[in-house]
Amino acid sequence: MLVCLVFCGKLTTVDAAPLCTNAQAGCHVLSLANLFDRVIQHSARMHGISNDLHSEFEVYFLPSKNQIGRVSRNCHTSSILTPNGKENAQRMAREELTEVILKLLVAWRDPLWHFHQSMAHHHDFNNFSSNKSLEMSDMVHELRKGVQKVVEKMQMLGIISNSVSNLASPEALLASDSAEWRLMKDYDLLYCFRRDSNKVQNYLKILKCRIVPEHGC
Amino acid sequence: MADSSPSTNLLLLLLISSLHWLFTPGSAFLIDRDHNTSSAPLEPHFTECISREQETFRCWWSPGSYHNLSSPGALRVFYLKKDSPTSEWKECPEYIHSNRECFFDVNHTSVWIPYCMQLRGENVTYFNEDDCFTVENIVRPDPPVSLSWTLLNISPSGLSYDVMVNWEPPPSADVDAGWMRIEYEIQYRERNTTNWEALEMQPHTQQTIYGLHIGKDYEVHIRCRMVAFTKFGEFSDSIFIEVTEIPTKESPIPLTLVLVLGIVGILILIMLIVITQQHRLMMVLLPPVPAPKIKGIDSELLKKGKLDELNFILTGGGMGGLPTYAPDFYQDEPWVEFIEVDGEDGDSGEREDNRASDTQRLLGLPHPVSHHMNMGCSNAISFPDDDSGRASCYNPDLPEQDTLMLMATLLPGQPEEEEASFDVEERAPASSERSLVQTQTGGPQTWVNTDFYAQVSNVMPSGGVVLSPGQQLRIQESTSATEEETQKGKEDEDSKETEEQKQKELQFQLLVVDPEGSGYTTESNVRQISTPPSSGEGYHTIHPQPVETKPAATMEDNQSPYILPDSPQSQFFSPVADYTVVQELDSHHSLLLNPPPNQSPPPCLPQHPLKAPMPVGYITPDLLGNLSP
Repeated sequence: MLVCLVFCGKLTTVDAAPLCTNAQAGCHVLSLANLFDRVIQHSARMHGISNDLHSEFEVYFLPSKNQIGRVSRNCHTSSILTPNGKENAQRMAREELTEVILKLLVAWRDPLWHFHQSMAHHHDFNNFSSNKSLEMSDMVHELRKGVQKVVEKMQMLGIISNSVSNLASPEALLASDSAEWRLMKDYDLLYCFRRDSNKVQNYLKILKCRIVPEHGC
Repeated sequence: MADSSPSTNLLLLLLISSLHWLFTPGSAFLIDRDHNTSSAPLEPHFTECISREQETFRCWWSPGSYHNLSSPGALRVFYLKKDSPTSEWKECPEYIHSNRECFFDVNHTSVWIPYCMQLRGENVTYFNEDDCFTVENIVRPDPPVSLSWTLLNISPSGLSYDVMVNWEPPPSADVDAGWMRIEYEIQYRERNTTNWEALEMQPHTQQTIYGLHIGKDYEVHIRCRMVAFTKFGEFSDSIFIEVTEIPTKESPIPLTLVLVLGIVGILILIMLIVITQQHRLMMVLLPPVPAPKIKGIDSELLKKGKLDELNFILTGGGMGGLPTYAPDFYQDEPWVEFIEVDGEDGDSGEREDNRASDTQRLLGLPHPVSHHMNMGCSNAISFPDDDSGRASCYNPDLPEQDTLMLMATLLPGQPEEEEASFDVEERAPASSERSLVQTQTGGPQTWVNTDFYAQVSNVMPSGGVVLSPGQQLRIQESTSATEEETQKGKEDEDSKETEEQKQKELQFQLLVVDPEGSGYTTESNVRQISTPPSSGEGYHTIHPQPVETKPAATMEDNQSPYILPDSPQSQFFSPVADYTVVQELDSHHSLLLNPPPNQSPPPCLPQHPLKAPMPVGYITPDLLGNLSP
């Protein structure tokens, strides 16, 4: 309940009653479409921040060359199999897609937190970027919880099977990835996260338009 | 965590984005080459790689300065898709040599996976690391389609207006599936100017442009890009907005015009109706204002003309004038003044000697009277009788007769039958006169104590009319003759209701009616009196019954006041000395109501001026008319 309140508070563009789990008195239950809209907006904002940070990073460090060739080898989330095209994403099962989203979100919680820690001590960054990195790390955390809620709702409605529940313990995933991301440079991390946040946003949107296609698709 | 103020965040974001645009991976194609063009010979390079819908993309290359490599096939395109550590360079899946373009279809396109492009010549490989990109970063959406505008409103000043612009997302972009999220940017400018005004980017497919000026031509176009990305697509085709005129307020003008015309038409219609004297319509459109009803007074008789005549009579205009009281009569409401609830008494003037005698006289010798009158009248018929003093029935000079009549009524009546009866008909071919018939001629007249009539017993110098107390009237039994005459007159008269008749009637009634009197006049009586008698029976009503029958045809309900159509059919027998007969008119146009027995009493004494101030006698409306000169 508290998480939902915080989660809802993060969404600047969504104004609605607080999210209630069990239709408690005083709050009204949101529809699945509404939940999807919230998480999608949240992910859009997250992607925007990551984009800003990435751009700012480039401004500060002015890489003269395109780092993309180098970066692609270092993203720690590369091991996660993600659909790389629209058709692939649409063909993917809902449960699978949902799992991918959750995996991505889980994978980025710790790296972003550490990134923020390193940025806070970095004198070159202004407060603006420091706040952004903190915000980014918080948003990942909130977004994961939001998607978790969506999954629960979908499971409650019978839209997807209960096979997704094994992601409730993200620590299992983190263990495998914990080593890689520490090797990433900050810039690469930002680049990778920017890419992954775009993936999350896209996947969420595809899911939503597939499951609850009303208004917004 | 705290959110910085969104505005500062946005500003910084914009700043960063604007700077970031220069350094976006994927835009390396353009930037790097620009730096190198001036110094070294240009190598073959890729000019641009663009994806329109994030599902396919194309790359164009240029041979640069090496023109010998410009021929198709001289340069080959290889790409590396870094989706696995063991990926290899592959050749372009689809060449379009005409454009020097390499097209990657859906099967060869993967998003979020870096691509690197390479140009290979014979033995040379031209590769630049900056030519690596991910597909989502090179997306430039197609321009939106179906751009249109609608007028929202116009400012009250009429100088500016707002416009709502609508469009559709580019069909190639799969927005519905959520694969692409697009935001739009509208730009507009006045035609033939160079600077575009850009509106804020927003993801909806409509936007309002505020503050456009009337009369100016505006050009509007739109472009779009992916949300949180930097590359814009191409601009759409321009549409032109122009609002030249304000819808003038012509609608109120016809409305007011219609209203004015409608009112004018209605007025004209009313005027026409009034003019044509369509009484029924007039009653509907212009209902008559109820006049004050004084009991016993008929407003009809108070119409214009009669009053004049009355006044004239009273003032003795043409007849030498009445004595002193005459001026008193003529006041604003003379008839009101005149009426006094005084049945008994009269001051000056002659007073009836004996009411009973008057009545008796009236009733007793109907025939002789009538006969006499007839004679008199008949005598008079032939020629006007000026000063003969005889009761001449005929007087061409109607007003005089009327005056006489009037005077007769003013004066205390002498109930002499012969006097009472005026044979108007005989005397007067004139319409009015016949009606004045005295019903009393002829046989015994029985008067009914119906309180229908009031005998003017006296006229006071102050102008008050003294009415004798209610006494019974006897109907003339022999009134048939006179009645016939009268009726004839009535019948003749019936068709015409001349003003004179009415006037006489009016005058007559004015004098006779006693509203509160000793019961002489009753409602029905008044009614009868008040209405213009077709035959101006007036006084004639002494005999109700025969008159009733005949006048039934001629008279309406309210006819001839002195006829009692609805009066009890029975005859009235009690003698009433309420009426006197105007015997003659003296030189002063005063009515002599007590003529010598020989003299014919008939009220046809038009010419005779009244000698006595208060002669007693009957005056029928006809006589009244005659009275006035």
